[in-house]
Amino acid sequence: MSEAADKTAALLANLWVKIQPIVEERLAILDRASSAASAGSLSLELRKEAQSNAHKLAGALGMYGFDEGTLVARELERLLDTEAPEPVRFSELVRELRASVTPKA
Amino acid sequence: MRRILIIDDEDDIREVAALSLEATAGWEILAAHSGLEGIRAAAQERPDAILMDVMMPGMDGPTTFRQMQQNPDIARIPVLLLTAKVQGVDQRRFADLGVAGVLFKPFDPMTLAQEISHALGWKD
Repeated sequence: MSEAADKTAALLANLWVKIQPIVEERLAILDRASSAASAGSLSLELRKEAQSNAHKLAGALGMYGFDEGTLVARELERLLDTEAPEPVRFSELVRELRASVTPKA
Repeated sequence: MRRILIIDDEDDIREVAALSLEATAGWEILAAHSGLEGIRAAAQERPDAILMDVMMPGMDGPTTFRQMQQNPDIARIPVLLLTAKVQGVDQRRFADLGVAGVLFKPFDPMTLAQEISHALGWKD
């Protein structure tokens, strides 16, 4: 790897740590929307907020090397485009998304 | 040295793009977090190119681009739209606006400068 690539990789790793609170906040909104969908009480406002957060995660995660996270977030974005997202699938995808950005023990 | 204006409401995207272009290409990066701020920055700084997000609260990327086209001082600065939309219909809609190109999120920070140079026909 070139010096510039090394430097970029190191800066990205630092930035990934720095943006953890933002990622967690976005995942929490998706968790909340998923719970509401399971309870049959997902409002239009929360669905749109969750979709917007899935969109942002889809656009960002791959930059840090989390390509699987981008794919799952895209699927969530599409699912949340439907009026009544299927609750079980919604919950599965949120779980997959969280796992995709969680370091393996 | 190339000077690029990045317009995006998301702090982390601006930051990744900036550090990527500075570290891998040595370009100077200017940043704005909204369309309105971007128009002002473009008029004041006259960058070599603008990299702009499509979906922004308030004035979105396409609207900002159309407003830039009304200002003769900045209308000729090439604009690349940055989008997380992957559907072909969106890509065609953006290309039809007359922008210099469309790049996709998530971008690869290691190759973003090459993608921009390629889209704009820059040889250096």
